[in-house]
Order: sequence, then structure tokens, then C-alpha cells
Amino acid sequence: MDIPKPASPLVNEHHCSNLRHKGMYVMSVPDPDEFKFYDRYDATHYWCTCTQKALGPDGLSVHPTTCQHGGERGCCE
Amino acid sequence: MDSQAPAPAQHPKYAWPEKPRLIGTRVSRIDGPLKVTGRAKYSYDILRPGMLYGRIVRSPHAHARLKSIDATAAEKAPGVKALLITIKPGDKVLYPGQEIGALAAATEQQAADALRLIKVEWDVLPALATVEQSMRPEAPQVFTPANTRRGTAQEDGNLDTGFAAAAHTVEGTYSTQVQTHTSLETHGCICEWNGENLTAWVSTQAVHGTREGFAAGLKIPQANVRVITEFMGGGFGSKFGPDIQGLLCARVAKAAGAPVKMMLDRKEEHLTTGNRPSAFARVRAGVAADGKLTAFDAQTWGTGGAGAGSDYPLPYIYTFPNRRRTHTDVYINSGQQRAMRAPGHPQGCFVTEVLMDELADRVRMDPMEFRLKNLPPLAPNAMWAKYFPMGAERINWKSRHVTGDPTPGPIKRGLGCSANRWGGAGQGARAHCEIGSDGSVVMRCGTQDIGTGNRTIMAMVVAETLGLEVNQVTIELGDSNQPFAPGSGGSTTAAAVMPAMRVTAGKARDALFERIAPQLGVPVDQISMGVGTVLVSLSTRDPLSDAQSAARSGQAPSSRSISWRDACRLLGTIPVSVDGQWERGLSAGGTSGVQFADVEVDIETGITKVRKIVCVQDCGLIVDAKTAETQCYGGIISGLNYAVFEERILDRNTANMVNPNMEWYHMAGQSDIPEIDVVLVDQPERGVIGIGEPPAVATAAAVANAIRNATGVTLRSIPITPDRLLTELERAGGTN
Amino acid sequence: MAGGMDLLGLMKDYIVSPDRIVSIKGLDQTIAGADSGIRIGAATKIADLADNVLVRKMYPALATAAESVGTPQIRNMGTVGGNIMQRPRCWYFRNEEFNCLKKGGSRCFAVEGENQFHAIFGDGPCHIVHPSSLAVPVIAYGGKFRVAGPNGSRDIDAGEFFQMPNTNLYGESVLQPNEIVTHVILPAPGQRSAGYEVRFKQSHDWPLAAASVNLVMSGQTVKSARLVMGAVAPVPWRSQAAERVLAGKTITEAIAVEAANAALASAKPMSGNAYKIRVAKTAVKRAVLRAAGVAWS
Ligand SMILES: Cc1cc2nc3c(=O)[nH]c(=O)nc-3n(C[C@H](O)[C@H](O)[C@H](O)COP(=O)(O)OP(=O)(O)OC[C@H]3O[C@@H](n4cnc5c(N)ncnc54)[C@H](O)[C@@H]3O)c2cc1C
Ligand code: SF4
Repeated sequence: MDIPKPASPLVNEHHCSNLRHKGMYVMSVPDPDEFKFYDRYDATHYWCTCTQKALGPDGLSVHPTTCQHGGERGCCE
Repeated sequence: MDSQAPAPAQHPKYAWPEKPRLIGTRVSRIDGPLKVTGRAKYSYDILRPGMLYGRIVRSPHAHARLKSIDATAAEKAPGVKALLITIKPGDKVLYPGQEIGALAAATEQQAADALRLIKVEWDVLPALATVEQSMRPEAPQVFTPANTRRGTAQEDGNLDTGFAAAAHTVEGTYSTQVQTHTSLETHGCICEWNGENLTAWVSTQAVHGTREGFAAGLKIPQANVRVITEFMGGGFGSKFGPDIQGLLCARVAKAAGAPVKMMLDRKEEHLTTGNRPSAFARVRAGVAADGKLTAFDAQTWGTGGAGAGSDYPLPYIYTFPNRRRTHTDVYINSGQQRAMRAPGHPQGCFVTEVLMDELADRVRMDPMEFRLKNLPPLAPNAMWAKYFPMGAERINWKSRHVTGDPTPGPIKRGLGCSANRWGGAGQGARAHCEIGSDGSVVMRCGTQDIGTGNRTIMAMVVAETLGLEVNQVTIELGDSNQPFAPGSGGSTTAAAVMPAMRVTAGKARDALFERIAPQLGVPVDQISMGVGTVLVSLSTRDPLSDAQSAARSGQAPSSRSISWRDACRLLGTIPVSVDGQWERGLSAGGTSGVQFADVEVDIETGITKVRKIVCVQDCGLIVDAKTAETQCYGGIISGLNYAVFEERILDRNTANMVNPNMEWYHMAGQSDIPEIDVVLVDQPERGVIGIGEPPAVATAAAVANAIRNATGVTLRSIPITPDRLLTELERAGGTN
Repeated sequence: MAGGMDLLGLMKDYIVSPDRIVSIKGLDQTIAGADSGIRIGAATKIADLADNVLVRKMYPALATAAESVGTPQIRNMGTVGGNIMQRPRCWYFRNEEFNCLKKGGSRCFAVEGENQFHAIFGDGPCHIVHPSSLAVPVIAYGGKFRVAGPNGSRDIDAGEFFQMPNTNLYGESVLQPNEIVTHVILPAPGQRSAGYEVRFKQSHDWPLAAASVNLVMSGQTVKSARLVMGAVAPVPWRSQAAERVLAGKTITEAIAVEAANAALASAKPMSGNAYKIRVAKTAVKRAVLRAAGVAWS
């Protein structure tokens, strides 16, 4: 049986578990040919599930480069 | 043909019918009458007993630090039942409209009045209103760790070789504006607590996702949350969770001990609920004398607001063998971007397609021929080479003049074209189907119909599979208590849900046959589906043959037919009740399309009138030709708005938006909408693919190219307002 | 409050918060011939004005202005008096966050800000464009406003009714708080007249520039002309320079262009609205040609 999973570049042991993006709720199947038509790009909008907006509980913006374990943000879980 | 293109798959058991009875026809929305008579209840329309109205306390400043806040007067204001402040002195805000609290009052007006009684003192800090301000070396550092972030950097082939092979180069800076989603129904919800259980009616694109979001944000069990979205007035990518207003609504509802409705107003929508980032591209591109693209070099940047990204695909579709690109996200003090109808694609399409017309002129080629020369190879997910000539025929491309309409007088005509692609493959939807002994059919699926016609095409697939008419099927959706289905984004809903409908209805049909076979006294493989009937044949039949051939064989003397009602009556008191889900082999991904625009420009006023748009678009197996077409209409209108009308305008000195309404935030009205000619290309062998986003991608570029063809001036920036167009015409040598 | 189309918006945006609202729906709603001209009640709906046979026949510039105001809903609710007395649409004025000069603040945000839809005439200190489309032809036709107050009723020349911001910063007209407009009175029109509005969107929008022209003819020759532009200045902007160009001439495209150039010669655009000069020139040219019945190419 197929157990589909949403496509996400986030890594559990690495990124904060509160970090969210649309791809985690929409289960699209990536087109393997896509990057023949243009190069890779990242248009993702991220948010924090605790605040439900693009700023975390510390008032700073949400992004995979800062919402990481071992980083400076106290809110990272 | 591209050998790596996904092979058309077929479901072994529930493949799409070869000769469908309903699928591919034009069926009107089953909820159309409810909507036009006002009986369809959107979240905005929900009224609960004792319901209060909530408003959000917001920052009036783009960048400021809170000195003090005093809400005592507001708390005592008439009608106010609950008030919550979520900011404390010393905290900073980063965009106008940033949420700092909420209140609930007996009437909407009392809530709005009470907001104005909150005394707030701010230290107003310097704000960044434009990418130029933010990128200046002397700009104040507003964002952590910096005002800009280096994004993707790509390089492929060899630029030096590419430019050496170029006979001509084009250099220029292209740009697109910030566009907001401007959904007709604003964001918001009604929250009602029953003890520790929360029921929320939310305008959302993801009922299950929103349940998860409420639970995580409020730190309550998901089991305690139910989210309902029966009808929904558009989201375009901006509605994937409860959002901050959902959490605030739930909290004030709890504090007030009463249900609270908190729907945002138009201004709040523009300021805080997402937008399409701006895009800038400094490009240098080369073309060989024979019209083959050789090189592409671009630095790009853009803003997604306070701390959000702005990347987009570039160059778009056409093959530049040697290319380099670096992208930088620039932050300004405005509300953040969110996914918006084909995130990134209209930007990349505009930049590339305008550049393509400029390059075509350098080598003196017809822009369409030029495109055909530089397209990726033809494949099921890359059909442009076939679609361009089809569209050209419909727009009368042979009547096209070279750049600059030579006709005297102020009115200039022009034609332009462009291409788009999208994925649109979904998965993961689950459903539950019941067939009652009275013949009624209920299909439950926790998906949502965000205005696209999902409910209608679900009913079509179920009806097709059970040999019924669309109005004999009840579709229940938009409730997180129903079986899980993913959020509606990325044009994936049809591709995720239709296979689940086909499989679940197929299983229900099989279960029905199994239940009634003993009573009919025949083996189950001698029962098949007719149209409104169940057929019992004496010979062995394939129970999954399509309805029409079944109906034909029903006329054979060796079989008898029983009405659907009579067959179901054999179920007695126990209904058929089965679960099913999306399975492989019924859907795919990868769509392509082209668009053409025919415009008329008044060069004495700078006003563009789009006369006609032609759209050639595929989306795999077309379920409802009518709703697929209306998706194209909607996409094209939004693309037209992007080309000439819509623009979020921020005051350059304060970063406050000056047009947070639908008066100065221009959008096409009925009289601005052209004739739209949609050609849908059916690819039944591929299965279902989504179509929500692709038609919105190419319109702006086609219109911009048509304006260029009409006027002879190149506008590398949208929206093409009278202001921009006249300024450019003036620069090109005046108009009188 | 008459139709409420303007006042309710101002209240919802917290730009004005009156303590008490008086309904003036009971004012005269009729359109009637008077002397050789016409008398329009202040409570006349804009839609009724646009449809009126007399207006369409005698005052085409007024009919053009009336039929293109806003949307059908706005024309069905909005009244002539309310249209004349509506407040400016400057986006700084209409947004609560900006405490601009006109609202008692210390600066005009448009000067160094976003002024693409602001005035190209006038010396400030406020740079609104007057919002009323109807006032433009009313002045071109040499109309008057009949005003009632505690001391009875008086007629004010429409051309003297509106005031520039350096005279009246907080209001736009000479009307006193205890006065009310009861009628618009138009004298007989010239033999030829017309209006032309340049609109970005074809509905639910404001003109980028407009012009009304009223020509008294002697055969094919213009004896005298009145030319007024809309959406270019804090008041409907009459151009006597353009009127002088037209007087004594037979209208041709060249004369219309000359009048347009004269009308805009003294324009002083702001940082972001120089394009409006071209737009306004086009409006003038086309209004003149339309009045004269000359097709523009
Ligand atoms: C999207 C949009 C587009 C629009 N486009 C145009 C356009 O292109 N051209 C145009 O001209 N208008 C346009 N309008 C404005 C519209 O025409 C006016 O709002 C309307 O005419 C106001 O009339 P009302 O009777 O509703 O006035 P109200 O809102 O009732 O009153 C407006 C003001 O005038 C005062 N007032 C009303 N009647 C009198 C009177 N008899 N004597 C003294 N004071 C009075 C009121 O006290 C109030 O201050 C547009 C409006 C919108 C929202
Ligand atoms: S133009 Fe007038 S109304 Fe607008 S900001 Fe300036 S002072 Fe205020």
C-alpha cells in the first residue's frame, strides 16, 4: 500500500519541530523533469506553528537557516 | 519524445473508463444555485448563538519599539467582553499591521471603536520601504542577521563560450511588483469552545492542516479540535492554517466564554495575509545569428517582506545552454509573502518572455518561431511546440506586424505570446463511501472546495463509477472529522482527490455487488453496473467495464437489469460502508500551456485595453470541461491584473501601504475583462492533473509582449500603468 | 447625510466621527427646466441625472460625467449634492495612519511620497485633486449652487464655490457648516459642449484627468468657450488660456491640440505625476473635438 509523505527539505533532527511550510500540508508529487525547464529555486514561505506567523516567539523571522538546533534561538524545540 | 517523461500509468483495477459518460463533459457546479441565492454559508456567514465579534490590535508602524500600552479604557468600553495584549514594552514590531493583541465585543462596531481606545506609545524606528533602501550600504540594520540573504547560486555550461557564440546580446533590468492575494472572502474564523473542545469555522485551504495548527498553537490535543469549511471564498495559497488571527480568536473566545467571529477586513488582508514577492533581474543574454540561445547571466533579487524569501525560477522554460544566476532575498518592513498562485512562476515567466521578444527582434525572427527554436524537446509534460501553433491560429498570429504598430493615430494594436508549466500531481487523499438501502450515496472526504469546483468533479467521478447522475450523489467535504485529505495547494487537489473518489466508489460498488449477489442468486462476477441500473448477465462479465458498454450489453437477451433502487433495497438495514484512498495509476503531474494576447494601447493616455486572450492548456484527463475552463478564466484575469493593474504601493517614507483597499489597489472589473478563448487539451491516458495555477502564469508576459508589439517600446517592468507606459513612450521620442 | 456613499466610508475609516447625523434625503430630487436652463435638486440620484432626457440632450458633458461615476450601485445611491460635497480621495487623507495637513497634522505626505494621482496645479500646501466629476461640467456650463442657511437662500457661482487649500485647508468649499446645497442651476448651454474622461479602469475607478468644454458658436466659429479640467487640481480647474485659444476659431485638431497645450502650460507636476500632463492634454483635446463633432485620429 502507498503511504504518501509530503515533500519537505526539513530534517527532523536538525530543524526546529515548530517550523512549517505549505509543502508539509499539501502532498504534491514532485515532477522529476521539473528542473529541466529551469534551475532549482526556493520560493518557500515559512512560519512557526507556535505563533502561526512568519515571526517566531522571539519576534525574529522564521527560516530554516536560523530555526535549527544548536543555533542561537531559545525558542527552537 | 523525451524518454524520461513519466510513463502513463494505469490503475490495475479501477482505471478511468475508456468511454466515459460524464467525465470530460460540461457539468455546472452542483453548488452554483446555493451560491447565487446566498444559501451557501461561507465562514463569513456563520452565526452562532451569543456570538461576539473580534478585532485584532495592530501596529500602525512599520518598525517600532513598544514604550507602553494601556488598554484599561478599551476593556471598559461598551460591549467589550474580552481583551488580550500579546506585546510587552521593549518588544519590536517589523511591519505595519503586526498583531499585538485582540479583543471581542458584542458588535463589530463596538469592537472597532474599542480598539481606538487602547493607548499605545511607540519609539518609531527607521523603516525600510523599498529594496533600494534596504540594499544601500548605509541602510540601518533592521533585520537579524542582516537586511539581505544570499539565496541560490547556479551555474551551468560555460558563460564565456556562450557569450563568444552570441551574435547579439540584450542587457537590461526587469522587475515585477508585489501583488497581494485579495481573496474575495477575507481570512478569518469563528471559534466556539465546548469545555476543552474547540470547533472552528475557518476560511482555509486545509481543514486537516488547520486542525493540526490550532492544536500546536494552542497546545491542546488535536482530538479536541474540529475545523469546518463548507464553502470557501478563495485563498490562492494564503490560507494553510489557523494563522495568528485563528489563535487570537480562539483565545478571546475562551476568555469571553462565548463564540467569537474574527474575520479580517480588506486592509488587514493587504497588510498581513501574504503576497507575491517582487522580483528584480539584471540580465545579460546572448543569441547566435541562427536564433539559438547561447548564454544567460543574471543577478536577481526581490522582497518577500519582513524576513521572507523571494526566489523564483529563471530562466523560464527556454533552453539557455550556458547560464549563471545568483539570487538575493531583500527584507523590508512589510507583511510577509505567502505562496501565491504558482509561486515564482509569473515572475520568472515575465522576465524570460519579455527578454525572448527582445532577443527575437535582434535576430529579426518572428517571436513564436524564435521560441519554437529554443524549446525543450516535446514530451507529455512539455507540449509547447505543439501548442504554440494552435494558439497562433486562434489569435490570428499571421496578422501580426513587426514591433511597433505602423497605423497612424493614437490607438495601436499588438499581439504577444508566452508559455507556462506546472506540476499539479497530488496524492494522499482518503475517503469513505456509504450506499444506503434507499439507493442514496454519500461520499465523505476531508478535502475542501476552495471555489474551484472540487465538490462538483468529486460528484462526477462518483456518479460515473456508480452509473448514477451527479445529483444522485451526496458529497460531504470541508470537515476535519472526515477522512484525511491534504491541503489544497500546488494545484494538487484534483489529482489527490479524484483517484480517491474513483477507488472508493469502485470499492463501494464491489461491496454492493458482493452483498446482493447471494440474493440475486448469481456469482458476483455476473453483476455489472448499468446507467441507473445493475445488470445481471448469464455470461461472465468484467464487472469494471464502463457504463456505456455495460448498458449496451444490457440490451442483450442473456441479461436482465434491475433498477439502482431495487438493487440497493436488497441491502436491508445495513448500508455498504467502505474506506478508500488515493492510489497510483489514476493521476500524474506536469502540465504545459501557452497564451496569446491581443491588445490595444492608447498612446495618448497610456491606457491598455486587452481585447482577447487565447489560452491552450492541458491538465491530463479533464474531469469537468466547464470547471477546468473557469479555472483558466480566473487565472487569466489574475494574470491580466498582474500585467496592468495590481500593485501594492508602500509610502516610501513610512513603509505604510497607501492603497490597502480595492479602490486604489486596482483590479479588473467586468468592463476590463477581454474575450477569453480557452482551448483545453485532453490527455486521458495520463490521468488527472491539477489546473488551478498554470493558467495564471503566462498572461502577464503575453500582455507585456503585445504592448511592446503595439507601441514599439519595451517595458521591462509591470504593472504597465498609464504612468509607466507614457513615461517610456516619452523617453522613446514623444507621442505627439 | 444624503446617499451616504462618501460619509459612511469616511466614518468606517475613522476619518470623521460625527456626534450626530441628519438625514437630508428629503431635499428636492427633481430635475426641471427653469428659464432657458435647468434646475437639479441636490437629492437627485446620480443615476437619475445620467438618464435624464433633458440633461442628455442639453448638457452632454454633464451626462458623460454622471454616467461614468463609480459603479451602478454608487450612482444609484449617491446624490448630486453629496457628489459636490464629497471629501478628497487622497490616500494619505483616507488612511488613519497618516495624520496629514488636511487632518490637522504638520505635513503633506504626498509631497515626498506617492503622488501619482495627485494634483499638477496649485501651490499646496495640500495637493489633492478635487474628487467631484459633476462639478467640472457644472462650472463649464456656468452653473450656480443654490444654498440654504439660517438666513434663507442664496446662489453661489459654481466657479467661486470651491476653494484652494491655501485659502481653506480643512474644507474644499465656501459652504458654511450651517448651510446646505439645495439645487444646482444651469443656464442655457452653448450650441456645442462635451466632456471627456480618461479612466484607467473602465468602472469602479476615478478619472486620471477629465475635461468639459462649453462652446458658444457663431456658425462654425467659436464665439466664446468655457473649459474646465477635473482631477488635476484641488478645485475643478478652469483654463482661460485655453478658452482664449478657442475663441474666434473654427475647431480643428490643430486648434484642439493648441488649446490643450495652453491648458497645461502652467502645470507644475509633483515628483511622480508628470505623466498626468499628457493625460490631461488628451482629455482637453478630445473634449474639444467631441464638442465640435470632429473625429479625433
Ligand atoms: C470606488 C468609487 C469610485 C467613485 N468614482 C467617482 C467618480 O468617478 N466621480 C465622482 O464624482 N465620484 C465618484 N465617487 C464618489 C461618489 O460619487 C460619491 O461618494 C457620492 O456621489 C456621494 O454622494 P452621497 O449622496 O452618497 O453623499 P454622502 O456620503 O451622503 O455625503 C457626502 C458629503 O457631502 C455632504 N452633503 C451631502 N449632501 C449635501 C448637501 N445637499 N449639501 C451640503 N452637504 C451635503 C455630507 O454631509 C457629506 O459630508 C466614487 C466613489 C467610490 C467609492
Ligand atoms: S494632499 Fe492634502 S490630503 Fe493628501 S496628504 Fe497632502 S495634505 Fe493630506
